[in-house]
Amino acid sequence: MEIRACLILLFYLVFYGFLAALFTFTMWVMLQTLSSDIPKYRDRISSPGLMISPKPDTALEFYFNKSDAQSYAEYVSTLRKFLESYDDSKQSQNINCTPGRIFDQNDVAVKKACRFNLSELGQCSGKEDKTFGYSKGTPCVLVKMNRIIGLKPEGEPRIHCTSKTAWGALKALEEGMVEINYFPPEGLIDLMYFPYYGKSLHAHYLQPLVAVQLAINSNSTKEEIAIECKILGSPNLKNEDDRDKFLGRIAFKVQMTE
Amino acid sequence: LLQKKSDVYSVEDLWDKRSRKTDIGDEEEKYKDLKGNKKKRRQKTLRKKWRTFYSLSFSLSFGIQDDHKLSASELEEKYGTSVNKGLSSARAAEILARDGPNSLTPPKATPEIVKFLKQMVGGFSILLWIGAVFSWISFGIQLAQGAESPFDNLYLGVVLALVVILTGIFAYYQEAKSTNIMASFSKMIPQQALVIRDAEKKELPADQLVVGDIVEIKGGDRIPADIRLIFTQGCKVDNSSLTGESEPQSRSCDFTHENPLETRNIAFYSTTCVEGTATGIVINTGDRTVIGRIASLTSGVGNEKTPIAIEIEHFVYLVAGVAISIGVLFFIISVSMRYKILDSIIFLIGIIVANVPEGLLATVTVSLSLTAKRMAKKNCLVKNLEAVETLGSTSIICSDKTGTLTQNRMTVAHLWFDNQIYSADTSEDQTTQPFDQSSPSWTALSKIVTLCNRAEFRPGQENLPIMKRVVVGDASETALLKFAEVILGDVMSIRARNRKVAEIPFNSTNKFQLSIHETDDPNDKRFLLVMKGAPERILERCSTIMINGKEEPLDSEKAEAFQTAYMELGGLGERVLGFCHLYLPEDEFPDTYPFDTDSMNFPTSNLCFVGLLSMIDPPRSTVPDAVSKCRSAGIKVIMVTGDHPITAKAIAKSVGIISATSETVEDIAKRLNIPVEQVNRREATAAVVNGMELKDMSLQQLDEILCNHSEIVFARTSPQQKLIIVEGCQRQGAVVAVTGDGVNDSPALKKADIGIAMGIAGSDAAKNAADMVLLDDNFASIVTGVEEGRLIFDNLKKTIAYTLTKNIAELCPFLIYIIASIPMPIGTITILFIDLGTDIIPSVALAYEKAESDIMNRRPRNKRKDRLVNEQLAVYSYLQIGIMQSVGAFITYFTVYAEQGFLPSTLLGVRVDWENNAINDFEDSYGQQWTKYQRMYLQWTGYTAFFVSITIQQVADLIIRKTRRNSIFQQGLFRNKVIWVGIFSQIGIALILTYGLGHVTALNFTPLRFQYWFVAVPFAILIWVYDEVRKLFIRRYPGSWWDKNMYY
Repeated sequence: MEIRACLILLFYLVFYGFLAALFTFTMWVMLQTLSSDIPKYRDRISSPGLMISPKPDTALEFYFNKSDAQSYAEYVSTLRKFLESYDDSKQSQNINCTPGRIFDQNDVAVKKACRFNLSELGQCSGKEDKTFGYSKGTPCVLVKMNRIIGLKPEGEPRIHCTSKTAWGALKALEEGMVEINYFPPEGLIDLMYFPYYGKSLHAHYLQPLVAVQLAINSNSTKEEIAIECKILGSPNLKNEDDRDKFLGRIAFKVQMTE
Repeated sequence: LLQKKSDVYSVEDLWDKRSRKTDIGDEEEKYKDLKGNKKKRRQKTLRKKWRTFYSLSFSLSFGIQDDHKLSASELEEKYGTSVNKGLSSARAAEILARDGPNSLTPPKATPEIVKFLKQMVGGFSILLWIGAVFSWISFGIQLAQGAESPFDNLYLGVVLALVVILTGIFAYYQEAKSTNIMASFSKMIPQQALVIRDAEKKELPADQLVVGDIVEIKGGDRIPADIRLIFTQGCKVDNSSLTGESEPQSRSCDFTHENPLETRNIAFYSTTCVEGTATGIVINTGDRTVIGRIASLTSGVGNEKTPIAIEIEHFVYLVAGVAISIGVLFFIISVSMRYKILDSIIFLIGIIVANVPEGLLATVTVSLSLTAKRMAKKNCLVKNLEAVETLGSTSIICSDKTGTLTQNRMTVAHLWFDNQIYSADTSEDQTTQPFDQSSPSWTALSKIVTLCNRAEFRPGQENLPIMKRVVVGDASETALLKFAEVILGDVMSIRARNRKVAEIPFNSTNKFQLSIHETDDPNDKRFLLVMKGAPERILERCSTIMINGKEEPLDSEKAEAFQTAYMELGGLGERVLGFCHLYLPEDEFPDTYPFDTDSMNFPTSNLCFVGLLSMIDPPRSTVPDAVSKCRSAGIKVIMVTGDHPITAKAIAKSVGIISATSETVEDIAKRLNIPVEQVNRREATAAVVNGMELKDMSLQQLDEILCNHSEIVFARTSPQQKLIIVEGCQRQGAVVAVTGDGVNDSPALKKADIGIAMGIAGSDAAKNAADMVLLDDNFASIVTGVEEGRLIFDNLKKTIAYTLTKNIAELCPFLIYIIASIPMPIGTITILFIDLGTDIIPSVALAYEKAESDIMNRRPRNKRKDRLVNEQLAVYSYLQIGIMQSVGAFITYFTVYAEQGFLPSTLLGVRVDWENNAINDFEDSYGQQWTKYQRMYLQWTGYTAFFVSITIQQVADLIIRKTRRNSIFQQGLFRNKVIWVGIFSQIGIALILTYGLGHVTALNFTPLRFQYWFVAVPFAILIWVYDEVRKLFIRRYPGSWWDKNMYY
């Protein structure tokens, strides 16, 4: 009985050992066929998604009291942390590229990253206003486009946001509930930041940012304002996908109290 | 002191012994009590039923009332009919509308809705219902929490419920269909009746008969209703299906008994008219007939579970047990890993769905019904699908003799003339007789056989083979007529040429039959007197004997030779007839001589003895082969017959039920010349048990006989005793198949594990009680059925092994998903598409697989040990092939993710972020960022890849499951074409799902890159190679550790 149990144990040890070895070997062979620079296929992400920073824990909804620093402390610290990598000191290796042109580096072995000046974010750069406008009722939200290797946007891509009241009427803007300012102006995303060459080749790459400053009218506090930002002006960047609500667009809500 | 001590001991010993003895005695008594009481109770209820039945028969409500006492004219008046003109069609239609058709109401069936609901909760359905309910609960919770996509769970629940309902409907439909086979069978041959209506003779379907109809019956007809006879001519009926009496009984118009069951002027529904003709008035139809009443009295004997039902139940418990225990285990693991309860519940559903082979029960049903169809082609009509397999596990067949083992017609088997015994051909399709026909004695004998015979062929059958023609006449005369026709040609013209001038028919006092003929020799003016009858009576009347055509005086030596021959033929169980003749001298009996059969004005003694002919109901030619097949298949064949022991033993010997070398106790006694009592009963392998002996036997004695003798014949048994024999066999733990045809066989047929009714000779009651109907009444068909039954058992094993394997490949993703927190490798809906989509046709295809070896060369399966799903099967499928499949599928999964940018190392532990709807910049191994939907789409691609890999490896699984022991190359890859249909359907369905329905989001399939179809191919090949190695070792080292653990 003992021997029989041992035999069975031994058998499965050998059997599973063999399978594990086979699995490891096959995986190794498979990984050898892959390049470490770019993935084999990129067809599943042909168009980038949009994302914002700070990203509230609750599903993209900002709630804060402009007179209570504690209520937006997390947003501010997130923004600050996010912008750390954009600090001038970290960008010493980056070069100044020609604005308005795709920065093609296919033939160059060492890919250079373009400099993104924080000053472009104006009031939202966090240099003048350490609270990114949250204390003044003009909160800043950074909008960024997902990195996709080899993506070359066409035309003049820019971020454009609209706002609605929570019950959907597109009147918020007209009624002056909120005024939206963009940094860089008109929310332009410069083509010189494209294409991206991937983590290993393009280590210092910084994706361009657009800061959206919401100047919320003091009458419309306590009002929940829905903002939707879209990427416009580029024919090859989709922003109307039925299923993917984040493909070239993003929606979030802001509610400010005093 | 010592002495004293020993005394004490001895006393104690004695006391001990005694107490033990009484214990045993008690136990025996208890045993007897239990069994005996049960039997007694049954007998009591049976007896009670008969008593009520008898008392009913005298009461007004019985229906026959006193019709048997009335005269024809009184009857005419009572039923408003006329013997000559019959009913008018209009009146008949009225009565038909009032009484309903003349057919038995089928036994009360379970209401359809109950049957349907049973299918909805049977088997795995409960597990799936639980899954569905959990899905809905989690949907409700998610909805209340306001999650973003709660509808996934709602859909999943709906899909699960749909799966249960659809498979339930399918199973219900299958059952209904198999029930319908039986119904269609009874409709296949509508019985016709010859009726006088509107003063015309009409052929009507028997169910159109009404009370008061005048019907005509002739030999061979089945009595279409209860009939009061008003005119008969030599009419005999076979009441065996009603009363069990095997002798045909004569019917007349006379009132002979108070009891309508005993009186001769009533013929009962469903009995057969053996010979003669009769006309009668229908007095009862349909359920009001005597048979109808018995049928309703005896229905309601419960059925026991069939072996395959037990096996499937065992299998369902096993799989459900695995599903629930793994589910609960991982529920606990996931809860303790701090997963949310809701998520844990969703995992639980996934695990259940992955573990339950949703399509399997439907597949089993289809496989069984395919086999049932195949068996129907071979004349075994299966009423209850599960009986298909029961037949395969049969270990004892209790077979009738007449009609099943034999051809059910008397045939001349031996002849004796010129002091020599000749054998005749008794096969079904004889056209000539091989024995030496040159002797002048044979010429004389053949003349007697031809002339002294009243049987005639029904006209209009000249084109039929002689043996198939219908004859009017009793069994022996028919045999002689056919025998003569085969050898001499046209018997009727011979009779015409030898005109009959006088005749004394056979009667029981004379025991002979005599006729006087002119001869066809124009030069011979003498009359020829021919006589046949019981040999000893014929010999008494003879003074000479014909040897080689010459008359020689019958001395004691020749008489001795006659006795020896007579004894020998009688000992073969054959019915022997003697033949003699006498040429009447021309001077005493001139042309014009007035023969008078009453005064017997001609000699009936001092005749010339010519020869003997012996007849037997010969075995069917296919039976000996079938019996020997049973023998090698380890099936004991027991003959149970109402016939005489000698005949029964002779037939048993000739078909091999009693083998040539074995002896009965009586045989040994005779050989050793000692009294029967002194014979060691263990030495005798064969036994012939008389019904009278059986009556006085205790159950233990019967058990002893059944246990100790391998070859048993029960002779002179009543149908009731059959039940006792069946119970005895079942006490030995045997799976018993019983054949039967009469109404009285029904209890035995029901009691048996598989009751087999005769399709031709069987009564409706027997057919109703049986699980199977033999369309050709042939024993050999049972053996074919056994073969099919064994094959389907083997093939079901293969089907289940095939189906279980991929459950692991479906389950592993869940387990690894929970433990390693990788993105979900396969979705619940995708699993259902494997279980109910790609895998269905292949698993049915395994039912068409040919046997690997001669399945009729092994013993019947032991229902306690040889399970359908045994440990080896489960372990090999789950822990070996299943794991290999999982590995192959995971390789594909990781390949798909890696080639899209997520290297395996990135995937581990990402589950929470991966599934977070708010994270839309999820970074892959190359620094790219993915939105949630992009990730989901990739996840579905992973599902599809996993699905495709399982499908590809299931092709290999299908091929390896073709055999359990032999190499695939021994079995042949292309012998079972249906397997290829299965493989192509599997791949075809997978192609349609991925490329055709790849854009339907809800199904979670995506068009897959073509090369991913081939990632798992090396693993498929590995599975094949591994299984070939397994089989090789099993064949090489039988009985080894490998064989014991790897053979399922």
